[in-house]
Amino acid sequence: MATISFDLVSPENLVFNDEVGTIIVPGKDGDLGILPGHTKVMSSLRPGRVMVYNEDKSLIKSFFVSGGFAEINPEKCIVLAESVVEVNSLEKTSIEKEIQELENKEGKETEEQLSVAKAKLEAISVNYYDKI
Amino acid sequence: MPSLKDIKTQINSVGSTKKITSAMKMVAASKLRRSQEKAEAARPYSSRLEEMLSSLASSAASGEGIIKLLTGTGNDQNYVVVPVSADRGLCGGFNSSINRETFKLVKSLEGNEKKVQLIPVGKKSRDFFNRVMKDQIIESFVDLNVSSTGYESALNISNKLQELYFDGKFDKCILVFNKFKSAISQEVTQQQLIPLDVSNSEKEEEKENSSNAIYDYEPDEETILKDLLPKNVSIQIFKVLLESDAGEQGARMAAMDNATRNAGEMIDSLTLKYNRTRQAFITKELIEIISGAESI
Repeated sequence: MATISFDLVSPENLVFNDEVGTIIVPGKDGDLGILPGHTKVMSSLRPGRVMVYNEDKSLIKSFFVSGGFAEINPEKCIVLAESVVEVNSLEKTSIEKEIQELENKEGKETEEQLSVAKAKLEAISVNYYDKI
Repeated sequence: MPSLKDIKTQINSVGSTKKITSAMKMVAASKLRRSQEKAEAARPYSSRLEEMLSSLASSAASGEGIIKLLTGTGNDQNYVVVPVSADRGLCGGFNSSINRETFKLVKSLEGNEKKVQLIPVGKKSRDFFNRVMKDQIIESFVDLNVSSTGYESALNISNKLQELYFDGKFDKCILVFNKFKSAISQEVTQQQLIPLDVSNSEKEEEKENSSNAIYDYEPDEETILKDLLPKNVSIQIFKVLLESDAGEQGARMAAMDNATRNAGEMIDSLTLKYNRTRQAFITKELIEIISGAESI
């Protein structure tokens, strides 16, 4: 089976770079599943999970991104994300605390942070896409 | 004529200065490597973003809101100049060349009857402009420590700039920073940040356009562009901060290397002087003894 090359880039470093089988990215209008040979797409992303699978559809890694962009062509998929963390390294209690703190504050920026934090919480509590 | 003891003290004090400068040189050298790695690591992101942007830029004819980051306000009366310097000194001409260049730029803009405001980044430029043009400073950012705080610090500056821009406080923003050329040379560079200067990537744009013509955009080109433009401002600032940080370490390394060498030379010449003086004393004492013995 064919593979597609996948780069996950944050401003600070190159987080992931390998040949993989399938990727699921959280597009702004809905999740995108990307297989080798995907048509050329440029999409902006919402906060959510980027899931990486190998050729036999088993999950390699899942990341949480706080938004960004994906550029997809038949051979390559590049995700530019502002902040990237592995979902496994997220802790529920600390996120809940963050949400509580943010809820007490106001302003446009806090609203954005709040939506990111909420998406984070969702990312660790859901398990669809774990098997595809 | 200084006494032997005086020279000895002087040699010792130059010696300890030399120790300090050579230690600083080594610290700067290792920091330089780290800064360079950081700058290297940030490159894929910014170059990708630029590519995306240049392929999208053509689709934005004109518009309101965020698109103004690309198209400009239509005016060029009010400027904001952002000099990026280091927080600390002892790095040769690194800071002063930034300050000098910025000062020249501000004066020449004012000569053309533009209104100029300043947002200095880094203690050294803030202090300098606090002395010479205090009333033009609208905000300053110090103690950024970009190599440890990372992207966050760039975001702060970028948010502030965009806030001011959309409030109509300025029409153009120019960064003045040290571009990292090699470990021993930096080049003072001016870069127009807002509105985005796409002219330098125009060639790439043409090339990109031909291959990008068949991209599907999701949700649509304009929405992506609206997301992309503010991010681009932040990433440009981030890149500049990293370059400047690497440049600072390089400049400090070179300056401290020079200082160490100079201290070494100074010690050599002082040691020579010390030995000569010592010999002169011995000769003098010998003459005294001999002439004393002869006179008996």
